[in-house]
Amino acid sequence: MSEQATSSEAPGRAAASAQEESLYAVRQKVYVRAVSGMFAKWRWALVWFTQLLFYGLCWIPWNGRQAVLFHLVERKFYIFGWVFWPQDVFFLAILLIISAYGLFFFTAIAGRLWCGYACPQTVYTEIFMWIEQKIEGDRNKRMKLDKSDMSGRKVRVKGLKYAAWIALSLWTGFTFVGYFTPIRELVGSALTLTFGPWELFWILFYSSFTYLMAGVMREQVCKYMCPYARFQGVMFDPDTLVITYDEERGEPRGARKKGADPRALGKGDCVDCGICVQVCPTGIDIRDGLQYECIGCAACIDACDQVMEKMSYPKGLIRYSTENAVRKHWGMKEIIAHVMRPRTLIYGAILGVVTLAFVWGLATRSPLRVDIIRDRASLAREVADGYIENAYRLQVMNMTELPRRFALTLEGIVGLRMAGPETIEIGPATTEAVTIQVQIPYGTVEPGSHGIYLVVQALDDAEVRVREHTTFIMPR
Amino acid sequence: MKKLIEVLWPSFLVAGVAEMLFFTVIDPQELYFFGEPVQVSEIATYSIGFFAFWLICAASSLTTLFFQRGSEEINHPERFHES
Repeated sequence: MSEQATSSEAPGRAAASAQEESLYAVRQKVYVRAVSGMFAKWRWALVWFTQLLFYGLCWIPWNGRQAVLFHLVERKFYIFGWVFWPQDVFFLAILLIISAYGLFFFTAIAGRLWCGYACPQTVYTEIFMWIEQKIEGDRNKRMKLDKSDMSGRKVRVKGLKYAAWIALSLWTGFTFVGYFTPIRELVGSALTLTFGPWELFWILFYSSFTYLMAGVMREQVCKYMCPYARFQGVMFDPDTLVITYDEERGEPRGARKKGADPRALGKGDCVDCGICVQVCPTGIDIRDGLQYECIGCAACIDACDQVMEKMSYPKGLIRYSTENAVRKHWGMKEIIAHVMRPRTLIYGAILGVVTLAFVWGLATRSPLRVDIIRDRASLAREVADGYIENAYRLQVMNMTELPRRFALTLEGIVGLRMAGPETIEIGPATTEAVTIQVQIPYGTVEPGSHGIYLVVQALDDAEVRVREHTTFIMPR
Repeated sequence: MKKLIEVLWPSFLVAGVAEMLFFTVIDPQELYFFGEPVQVSEIATYSIGFFAFWLICAASSLTTLFFQRGSEEINHPERFHES
């Protein structure tokens, strides 16, 4: 931290007088002071991790195509070796359930971990603020710059910042669209400036969204726009780890000389420097207790620990703790012992079962899918040699990325035969419609409807086999 | 401005969900527009679909907002010029 912790600046936000005509409520612009420390390191680690994934994954090739591609035009989702079709919507639904329960589970244990470290809103705000800090300088310099009159330097500095933000936003929008349209084709269109109108539109749309959310709206997104922020409180209980100010230890707060004994002065450990407020991205004072605006980013913990260190007080005046732990003076051991409780066990059990179901479903997913429907044009017709013929339309879906040959056989009535080819070839990741004719001598079975089975068997793999039921109609 | 966002933002979220559900189940090539098969590209269909959903959802949000006015606000609109 480059700024000095001074007690004259308290309370933190009062110095910032710039008020914005804001979108939701009258908003005092939050000038977030940069923070360093263990939790900031964690957040940056996750910024790197998620963004390397996001900006990088779309460039990885796989089997001569993009490894991760949600190809909307082909209506196929490619994820490394897997190809998902609209028929696989089951997996998407399960994945959403897993995400929801994962969120519930982690929220019940340690509050808004997602919000504080991994949410795109947090991550992009962090990156945008880093750019701002690099170009405009630290918190005091930024406030001074905003208050200063228009000058050549101000235009230059602000312009540079906006340009950097726009460049990053455009790259983000481009990457985003690159997950839905092959990104290498997009590069081609970018180089020749021949984007499709809608591709260009969505790139610009997502770019402006990134810019607006991370550059302008920031904490307002979490406070007013995020649905999760509104209901996350219901997952909390007195044993949930949240960012807590130890009121008993801190109060009464107040400035003091370094080295003075707070107890002799009748004071608590809080020196009221206001830095915890200055570093807060949502501009709240954690000392007022748990608030729905708190996104659990732990910036105030890092900041306060540094002040405590300077004052030679023990760290942890602001720390991750639980309501019960603070009230009953529990140590780490008791907090950990209370992680296992009905709420977390239920969330955890559901999460475990659904995850297992997902993995099992994925592992046993058949790479072949067959749909058989009777030809609606005719029920049955007589053909040569006294045979009766029924016609069917067959949809065969080869879900692998290799062409495959399949043998078609009939079961259910002895004497069934197929007119036409008994093997078919289906291209890689392709659906093909085939018409087949099934014949049997007249009078072999009673007139009426009879259940029969069509077996589709891959020639190269005995495991890949589908047996579909349909009916054969014998006329009178 | 606040009211505009109150209409546009929730409808945006719901339109996103509706778009996903709708186009997971329905192939854009199977759509008919006034009896004619849809001629535009898939990306255009998805995009127009999204905006159509957004528009419908926004209409619903707008109606909610409209009916939310209390009797005070209807009887004495001059007191509610702010916000």
